[in-house]
Amino acid sequence: MSFILPLFVFSLSIPLVVAVVAVGVGNRSWGNILVQLLMIFGGVTGFIASTLFLFGGGDSSIVSGLLSFPAPLDAWFAIDTLRAFFLLFVYAGMMLTSLYSLGYLPKYRGVYSLPALNAALALFVFGMGATIMSASIFSFLLFWKVMSVSAYFLVIADRSAESLSAGFSYFLMTHIGFVSLLAGFLLLSGGNVFASFLSIAASAAGLSSFVRATAFFLLFIGFGSKAGLVPLHQWLPYAHPQAPSNASALMSGVMLKVALFGFIQSLFLFSEIPLWWSCVVMAVGLVSAFFGVLHAAVESDVKRLLAWSSIENMGLLFSALGGIGIIGSLPLGLGAQPLIGALAFFVALHAVNHFLFKSGLFMAAGAVVSETHTRDLDQLGGLAQKWPLFSAAFLALSLAASALPPFGAFYGEWAYLQTLVAAIGSGITALAVPAGVALSLISLISGLAIFTFAKAFSSIFLGRARTNHAENVGHLHWALVTPVVLTAVASLATGLVAVPLGSLIAGATSTGDWSASLAPLPRASINPLVVLLIVMLTLTLAFVASRIFGAPRIRRTDTWDCGQPLTRRMEYTATGFAAPIRFFFKSIVLAEKRMTATPIIASNPWIASRSLEWKVSSFWERALYEPLGKLMLRVADVIKHLQSGVVQFYLLLVFATLVVVMSTAL
Amino acid sequence: MTLIFSFAQAAFIVLLAPGMVGFVRTLKARFQNRRGAPILLPYWSLLSLFRKEMTITRNSSWIFHAVPFVVFASALTLAFLIPTLGYSGGHLGDIFLVGAIMALGSVFLVFGGMDTASAFGNMGSSREMTLSALVEPALYVSLGTLAIIAGAPNLESILERFSSASALDILPIAALSLFALFLVFLSENARYPVDNPATHLELTMVHEAMVLEYSGAYLALLEYASAIKLTVLFAFLMDLVVPFGIVHLPFTPLTLLVACVALLGKLVLAALLVAFVESTIVKMRFYRMQEFMSLGFIVAFAGLLLALIFGRPL
Repeated sequence: MSFILPLFVFSLSIPLVVAVVAVGVGNRSWGNILVQLLMIFGGVTGFIASTLFLFGGGDSSIVSGLLSFPAPLDAWFAIDTLRAFFLLFVYAGMMLTSLYSLGYLPKYRGVYSLPALNAALALFVFGMGATIMSASIFSFLLFWKVMSVSAYFLVIADRSAESLSAGFSYFLMTHIGFVSLLAGFLLLSGGNVFASFLSIAASAAGLSSFVRATAFFLLFIGFGSKAGLVPLHQWLPYAHPQAPSNASALMSGVMLKVALFGFIQSLFLFSEIPLWWSCVVMAVGLVSAFFGVLHAAVESDVKRLLAWSSIENMGLLFSALGGIGIIGSLPLGLGAQPLIGALAFFVALHAVNHFLFKSGLFMAAGAVVSETHTRDLDQLGGLAQKWPLFSAAFLALSLAASALPPFGAFYGEWAYLQTLVAAIGSGITALAVPAGVALSLISLISGLAIFTFAKAFSSIFLGRARTNHAENVGHLHWALVTPVVLTAVASLATGLVAVPLGSLIAGATSTGDWSASLAPLPRASINPLVVLLIVMLTLTLAFVASRIFGAPRIRRTDTWDCGQPLTRRMEYTATGFAAPIRFFFKSIVLAEKRMTATPIIASNPWIASRSLEWKVSSFWERALYEPLGKLMLRVADVIKHLQSGVVQFYLLLVFATLVVVMSTAL
Repeated sequence: MTLIFSFAQAAFIVLLAPGMVGFVRTLKARFQNRRGAPILLPYWSLLSLFRKEMTITRNSSWIFHAVPFVVFASALTLAFLIPTLGYSGGHLGDIFLVGAIMALGSVFLVFGGMDTASAFGNMGSSREMTLSALVEPALYVSLGTLAIIAGAPNLESILERFSSASALDILPIAALSLFALFLVFLSENARYPVDNPATHLELTMVHEAMVLEYSGAYLALLEYASAIKLTVLFAFLMDLVVPFGIVHLPFTPLTLLVACVALLGKLVLAALLVAFVESTIVKMRFYRMQEFMSLGFIVAFAGLLLALIFGRPL
């Protein structure tokens, strides 16, 4: 008797039901509660189903790791270990953000239309779940589209001019991505849009190497643009933050993982992956990670900072996939398996941890914004005094995002760096060179990531509030705090169980050639529990040391002010904090500062009102998008001459087009 | 046995640390033709700080109280993880774990400086965070190089490799990496040319600016932490440069005694080196720090190449 299948079907269909319910209940105050409870329920069932699939395995309907759906659905959906692993993100995200929405959305009754927003959210979640479950190209692309289009409505949910413009660039980029996915898949399947992924893997082997390379890079562009890889990342830091924070959490935490899933799944469609493809993937991943983290380090909008950091993390994940490809294409024999296993361990663990800390941080940022009414780090501060528990959770998530011990992200990155060192030490040039470059870049990236999150945490929570809004915050709703605390605890827990977890989810990549043991390199094992114990012990020692002469006497005073009262305007802002990074990387960050002084009294230039204009522009916008745009306009100018206004000439052009189509298509 | 040895090692470093700071100060004073304070002065200042009343700013939160403990704990953890007297077959000192524990200490120091609402602390924090972010590539590449030379990515194995091979075989290959590591440790310990440990001039201070608001027992913890970090990092570096007297299993009282004396000697050498560097070069302007960091990274990367090209036959 199979019970996993009904659970999957049930959890897949719940969001569809919710979409209808959300519109049905309208703006009634209990409507949102009902909708979110239903979503939490669906999330829990889906999460249980995926967990059972991953760890149970004994169910009769699972045949050699594949759960097939009954007749009409079997062309659409299938579940295997990889899919079940990625479904965990969807359903965990659904649970957490719906719990959060209980407290979050009612605050924005006036800004968003809640029925429409909830319906779009439900469709978005449905689209992500169904995309992952898809068994054929057709269903994959269809649900990918559902996901992308409902995400568009989430981006423009508050209908402000900023959101509309962000939504437009998102819409454009998502279509470029979609078209290249469509083209890539069709090339592989020989034009059959209904082909299942299993059949493509077989038919693609017969294609010429040029066609396969084209298909590979089309797919890379398609998934990479969704994952925010450079240079197709431009939309992400604008679109993700514009959505309501529960949706931002889903976009950065889950939708990016769907892109990652899509790419991993497509890797299995190729029987062999040449070295240079993997080198390109790795290079693009590293460059994305570098640009992402650099912009995150100088960004002062809290949600945009998180979005930039998503680009960094996706870049790291893709670079590790490239690394797996590089190792796989070299004749390393048995020596390749542990390296591949360790990189796959990084990918799995980091995907989990990025989901946890990024959705947690987006929800936390949303909670901060809902009370202080600003996303600008320069106007926050001092919140740790008001919200101790919440600030502790945010601190934990920031440390996790900085990949510091004892959090899970550290053990992921640690496995990655260990693998790189081992790869350099292997003495094979084709392996040592990319690994050496990657080691240097990733250590710089991780340093800047620490900078980014130290800046984010301290500008929001430490010191003194920089504005009245930040000073007079109220209590946070429990539903806003709970999911943030949950993600923080979970990222600590993944740190503790990281290494054992590795062997448990070993099945996640068991299809294809990656059936390595998913674990860090054996010679480099550290026990997370021992690390935590040492930290605990030394903390206790520190406490004892401070008490050797009894409890210290404490006097509360003002901050030392050199004899002149301090105002909150004298504190460093986040912008000021990042000034050294902007200076050191000025040729890449391209910060522009313009100070204008207009004298108040014409005779005295010293008494002036000054205003500061401030912009960080993107290297890629300057180096790629602007020249490309100019080129397009110039080409359009040339083509304009065709527009003679003579109807016969237009018809002639139509005829010529038809002839060309006929001669190529037939 | 491994754990007991690590504890003993850590305890030895922790006991010596304030003396090391005092010795560097005295040496610097001698370089400047001053007599200088007694070497043991830091012990007395720490003790008196522990007994003093603390003043804590109203503009701070619970983070401000947590910082000294975390920073001190991170320094203690370093003393525990990094082999200095010798190695006992444990593999706790993973290179990336050590780097991350150092970063954890820096991050909390930064929080301490930010949780004061004072521009001094904020400025120090911003600078410290920048420096510790930019120093990472040099740190990880040079430690990675040593790991490749040793064949295992932890400090015990590195120490074992360096102490068991003949110095002429291994030092030329590792020289650049060790030099890069020296530059990194100067930066991590807030020494010249990156930071001035003896200044309270706002233009130049980094570490001192962050701890400006601390007093009493908390300040003692922070000062002690930086002394431990200085001692343990330079002890390890000197262990590699002068791999003499390093104990390994089976321990005998004699070898242990030799190791302790040898470590004292190495610390004297390290103090001489640091004091010499600090007395002969000037502090660099903060906005030229990227030159220092790039130099460190390039040296580390060149060290990696050196190790890859010439390290094979070893």
